[in-house]
Amino acid sequence: MSRSPEAEVTIGFYTVEESEFTGWTGGLLVLSSSGRPLEFQCTLPVRPTRTHEILYGPTLRDYLIGEAIGPMLLKRCRNAPSLLCCNQPEALQLESISEAPVALVSEAAEQEEGPITDEMLPGYERCELAGSTLRVAIERYEIVRDIVSKLPSLPDMLEPFDRIKEAISEAQKQISRARAA
Amino acid sequence: MIHDLEIEIDPSVELNSSSLIPTNVTPIAIDTIETTAIPIRLQAFDVKTVGFQFPRSGGGIKVFRGANQANAPISQPGDHNAKTTEERSRELIEKSRAAATRARQSIRTGKLTRIKPPADVVKLEDRLFYLLQPPLELLVGSEQLDFPFEPFPYQLDGIAFLFPRYAAVLADEMGLGKTMQAISTVRLLLCSGEVRSVLLICPKPLVTNWMREFSVWAPEIPVAPIEGNSPTRQWQWTSPDIAVKIANYELLMRDRDSVLDQDQHFDLVVLDEAQRIKNQKNATSAIVREISRTRSWALTGTPVENSPEDLVGIFEFLSPGYLRSDMPVATIAKATRDHMLRRTKDMVLQDMPPKLYRDADLELTPEQRLTYEKAETEGVVQLENLDSQLTIQHVFELVLRLKQICNFDPATGSSAKLERLVADMEEVAASGQKAIVFSQWVKSIDAMRPALERFGPLEYHGRVPQKQRDGVIEQFKSDPSKHVILMSYGAGSVGLNLQFCRYVFLFDRWWNPAVEDQAINRAHRIGVAGSVTVTRMLMQNTIEQRIAAVLEQKREMFDELFSESKLPGSASLSREEIFGLFNLRSPKGRIAG
Repeated sequence: MSRSPEAEVTIGFYTVEESEFTGWTGGLLVLSSSGRPLEFQCTLPVRPTRTHEILYGPTLRDYLIGEAIGPMLLKRCRNAPSLLCCNQPEALQLESISEAPVALVSEAAEQEEGPITDEMLPGYERCELAGSTLRVAIERYEIVRDIVSKLPSLPDMLEPFDRIKEAISEAQKQISRARAA
Repeated sequence: MIHDLEIEIDPSVELNSSSLIPTNVTPIAIDTIETTAIPIRLQAFDVKTVGFQFPRSGGGIKVFRGANQANAPISQPGDHNAKTTEERSRELIEKSRAAATRARQSIRTGKLTRIKPPADVVKLEDRLFYLLQPPLELLVGSEQLDFPFEPFPYQLDGIAFLFPRYAAVLADEMGLGKTMQAISTVRLLLCSGEVRSVLLICPKPLVTNWMREFSVWAPEIPVAPIEGNSPTRQWQWTSPDIAVKIANYELLMRDRDSVLDQDQHFDLVVLDEAQRIKNQKNATSAIVREISRTRSWALTGTPVENSPEDLVGIFEFLSPGYLRSDMPVATIAKATRDHMLRRTKDMVLQDMPPKLYRDADLELTPEQRLTYEKAETEGVVQLENLDSQLTIQHVFELVLRLKQICNFDPATGSSAKLERLVADMEEVAASGQKAIVFSQWVKSIDAMRPALERFGPLEYHGRVPQKQRDGVIEQFKSDPSKHVILMSYGAGSVGLNLQFCRYVFLFDRWWNPAVEDQAINRAHRIGVAGSVTVTRMLMQNTIEQRIAAVLEQKREMFDELFSESKLPGSASLSREEIFGLFNLRSPKGRIAG
């Protein structure tokens, strides 16, 4: 994974879509500081077997998001984001392998998880970016604040996740068409 | 002295092995439980990925002080208005923050305009490139797409339609802002590096208009018209510093060799009034089709979807061979659906005000300019020579003479306004609509009539006998071949209802804005049924422009003071203001009237 030029701040958005029919598909979108797309990585659908579901039990989601899909996308990404944002708390585990700090966008996460409180995430600090609250590990707080100061014109932190959903949907349609052909 | 410690154990609380075993149980011997290990083959998750990188933006244009910025003031040392780099940078950041806040509000409350890949884009990477672009509302107001005025939602839809398309027809009804949509999309494409060179071809009277629109909607883009003598034009055709070149149709024949040179290629060619090339056999159409290009757009106000032959002609430019004239109409419709966008005012009515002003700022023709300058110079000298005998009547006479030259050159009949009117009437008539043209002079109405003959002109002014006037209105209303009525302000301003008219042209403007408003309201009372587009014609760098500036200032002042009331009669020019139009001087100093 190449480093971006030091002067250029980029921001990554990571999410995993779960579908009853297709499985689990992860998407990582890297944007420039003005919100333009630089790179998009997505996985082919990952389908856990019944055995996986039984043996992993309630830890399956954690494992897929934080240990299987996320690391693979980060590994394949050629434009390293300066900050990686996610909308699923399970993705915060990527902090252990990611060079960039990992932040949970509270408002984006609340759409599925309900209200995100400080008690749910001990050891995390809050930081504001583009009208949204980011939850970042205390030890990364200063770095994230510095990055945030370099992104004054980023308009929104929720909308890029919608773009990933659209892109995943488009990719899946193409794959289905290719298979049908 | 240490004594031996004596310890006694209380037997009632003593714990020994027998007290740990319940006394009322019997041990039973059972077999040892054997365990068995069952190996489970658990497949590791095989996560495969697919990824794409996209070009970084900003490589497309070099920004410099081009032709359309030539008059911008240059800041000098000691200039108190000059901003430092730091101030400018702070200003830009504040602007970006404000734009970001507006964009966020737009996201939370309204619809987002996303760029969708057209059907003919099949490669996943290309489709994802468009899908992953930010919604236009996020770009509006940012440094990438800073608009001087808030665009209407349908205009953002138009930009989203054009942006990904390599072949497109934007056929919005006249007055909906095709120019602005095309310019804004060109700007986005240049900023994103997707295009580097653009050629825009339009009718000659519209070149100035396009230059002006670029200076309003995309002031940072280097734009230049192809004009001047042959060596100059040849240099302009090959200059790599001009991102957008504007040429007129008439020029293409003369500069055929330059346009079709083998080293000449344009990333985008845009045709304005594209219905001009519908005739595939004419020489201009042939040249246009041969221009080496990557993307082709056509702009037209005519409802081309109603005319399959016209569509085939236009598509021969957009995508040669895509349509054939022997195709069934339904096939043509299906094939062109993804490449065409047409909105009418009725469709987007909820997005816009019922009265839409379109100022046609025009340049005098060379003949008019010569006559005008001579008349103004000589006229001012005569006024100054009158000295104390100068009256407001003298000034009025000069003003009126100059205004008449702005309409028509008395010697040659040349008229930039008429050229523009004819071009606009083509679209009005093709759309099946009707227009009113107002002028304060019957002489001007006489002069414009022959050029408008094919639009079935009717007249309504002082020379039309009273008893015939009702008949004229009735004929205008009911006869579908009559697309235009020529009216004088006096005769046509009062007591008429022309509710079926969607277009009003002010060929020359009245002194008093209230009279203009009344004239427009003959048609605009209509506003209930549909919107009205008012085109106000104004010659640049003439007395008309100076009068308009003063009237506008007064209108703003009155609006501020009397927001609810109509403009009083004194909204027209005062004595001082009329004298002030010419900056008259005598040996005693400035003549103020």
